[in-house]
Amino acid sequence: MEDKIGTKISGAEILLEQLLFQGVDTVFGYPGGAIMPVYDKLYGYLDRLHHVLVRHEQGAIHAAQGFARVKGVPGFVMVTSGPGATNVITGVADAMIDSTPVVVVAGQVTTGLLGTDAFQETDLIGMTTPITKWSYQIRRAEDVAWAVSRAFYIAGSGRPGPVVLDFTKDAQTGLAEFKPCRCNFIRSYVPDPEVPQEAIEKAAGMINAAERPFVVYGQGVLMSGAEKELGDFLDKADIPAGSTLLGLSALPSDNPHLKGMLGMHGSIASNIMTCECDLLIAVGMRFDDRVTGKLDKYASQAKIIHIDIDPSEIGKNIPVDLGIVGDARKVLSRLTPLLDKRDRSAWECRNAECDEVERTRVSDPEIAPSEGPVNPGEVIAAVAKATHGDAVIVTDVGQNQMLAARYSRFTKPRSFISSGGLGTMGFGLPAAIGAKIGAPDRTVCLFVGDGGIQMTVQELGTVMQEKTGVKIVLLNNNWLGNVRMWQELFFGARYSCTRMLNPDFEMLARAYGIRCENVESREELVPAIERMLADDAPCILNVHVREESMVFPMIPPGKELDQIMLNAKDWYAYGK
Amino acid sequence: MENEKLYEITAYTENQVGLLSAVAGIFTRRSLNIEKLLVYPSRIEGIHKFKIITRTDERRVKAVVAQMEKKVDVVKAFWEVDNERSHKEKEQVEEFLARREEQNVKL
Repeated sequence: MEDKIGTKISGAEILLEQLLFQGVDTVFGYPGGAIMPVYDKLYGYLDRLHHVLVRHEQGAIHAAQGFARVKGVPGFVMVTSGPGATNVITGVADAMIDSTPVVVVAGQVTTGLLGTDAFQETDLIGMTTPITKWSYQIRRAEDVAWAVSRAFYIAGSGRPGPVVLDFTKDAQTGLAEFKPCRCNFIRSYVPDPEVPQEAIEKAAGMINAAERPFVVYGQGVLMSGAEKELGDFLDKADIPAGSTLLGLSALPSDNPHLKGMLGMHGSIASNIMTCECDLLIAVGMRFDDRVTGKLDKYASQAKIIHIDIDPSEIGKNIPVDLGIVGDARKVLSRLTPLLDKRDRSAWECRNAECDEVERTRVSDPEIAPSEGPVNPGEVIAAVAKATHGDAVIVTDVGQNQMLAARYSRFTKPRSFISSGGLGTMGFGLPAAIGAKIGAPDRTVCLFVGDGGIQMTVQELGTVMQEKTGVKIVLLNNNWLGNVRMWQELFFGARYSCTRMLNPDFEMLARAYGIRCENVESREELVPAIERMLADDAPCILNVHVREESMVFPMIPPGKELDQIMLNAKDWYAYGK
Repeated sequence: MENEKLYEITAYTENQVGLLSAVAGIFTRRSLNIEKLLVYPSRIEGIHKFKIITRTDERRVKAVVAQMEKKVDVVKAFWEVDNERSHKEKEQVEEFLARREEQNVKL
């Protein structure tokens, strides 16, 4: 790098030098006309920047998201203008709502052609402004290092999120002196707000006075690296907790305080305890409607403390008694010393009765049936057992996702990667590729349905070319399973357009040179999983699962959290 | 809506291309109509000022102001009921910027 400093080089090369300066080593991308000057320079940098050639730009951004989520650093995407840029937009929106740090550089036509409807010109800034933390058009080579350093700082700090840089072709070819740029301050942007001591003391007082406190935590715990601080907090004051979907793996699954996942398909215990607590302490989560159910009844009996780094989340959905705007790790580490050591074992055991009902009525029939077709949950539980909970679990969206959240086991943080807020079908396969590239020493296991895999199935080409050792578990029921389930439960069993005629996935895998096994019966399942995990090569397990699979427990949309379906007919008998 | 009144929102911002559409988008997304809009250089060197009058309720005006402040190039945003203005905003922004400068030196 040294020999480039102070000399005049092209904007394209400044981008690459600045990327190296930022510590970037992986680029998920796809070349095209308006980004060709950068790809030309990249040719001389391929020994230092690993370029992953995806098969569609949507694959690039989801892969970068998987990479970012498993590593905790921004993922980097490079695409061309026009269709290249619009193809990443789903992933940008996904990264925004799930707070995933990614930086996207898209080519753009020459500044002189802006606004003329030139070939492959789109107003990318206009399109991405509402779904990015920051979007900026680079029009001069002199601005490249500054814009890139600022992009990485914004993407990765505070509540993380996506940044888009629209890079005009003349800024790529223009010459400027390269000086590496480090951005760690923007006066109008406060990513790590200071928390006043009074707020910490007030929270401690409320917690010490509570008889039945309950913690609901989310991805903020993972993003701030507060896993240990959360564990210590729960231990000291003996407080039970529930996790959001994206908070999963922040605490290991065997943590005694953890009462399961919150919300629509969460555990009975975590939802009932939300309804019975006298103090709800929310940490790094945003009260999504899939978590809260009917808003005006949500924890309405309790006082609420909300700790989040994003001030706009405080009071957005749920009125709170105390809002603390700050980093979860810093807040928890200051709060724990002020807590009284308490024995709340009677309240801590509140889950026992709920868990017994859930185990006998829901979980055991799903994961350990004695006969009939293979259940999707059974596959997930078998993989959890075979990997000892050490794998990175990536999911697509739908039943595969909810069942993976329910029946996977976690021993390490950053081990559950899923599209939560946007619910993007097709996220799974490319995200798993990015996760495996980001964590090459870990087993990365994808659970995906036959619908979702076909939304981004072209990325099998990326798996082939990169030899990415992802373990793809296809839960194949020949339906769009989650929509089919809703049709059965809420739309009078009118199965409108959800039946799928699928290709022969084994032949498809063979076309890409990827090993594939079909699993038709219960006896074949565990041996096939063991063979899949025996090496580090890519593999597809095409498991024919129960066609009319369902996911329970379920709180129907808009219902209160104590209205829990155990199956299509029976409700959890709460308070009876 | 019964609780709706005219609110005046003031935002102090960096002078950046595209910020007007970013701010306008916050209103559009919530189906809020802008009754009046002024954008001009503030009395603080290098800082621009938005004045927006909109008819809404207090819960939504708070959410809108929080979303505005979330934009990287917005320094600070305020809301008031249109006829109860306090005119202390400039001082607050200057104090904020001075504090940020101190924090920058410490980094």
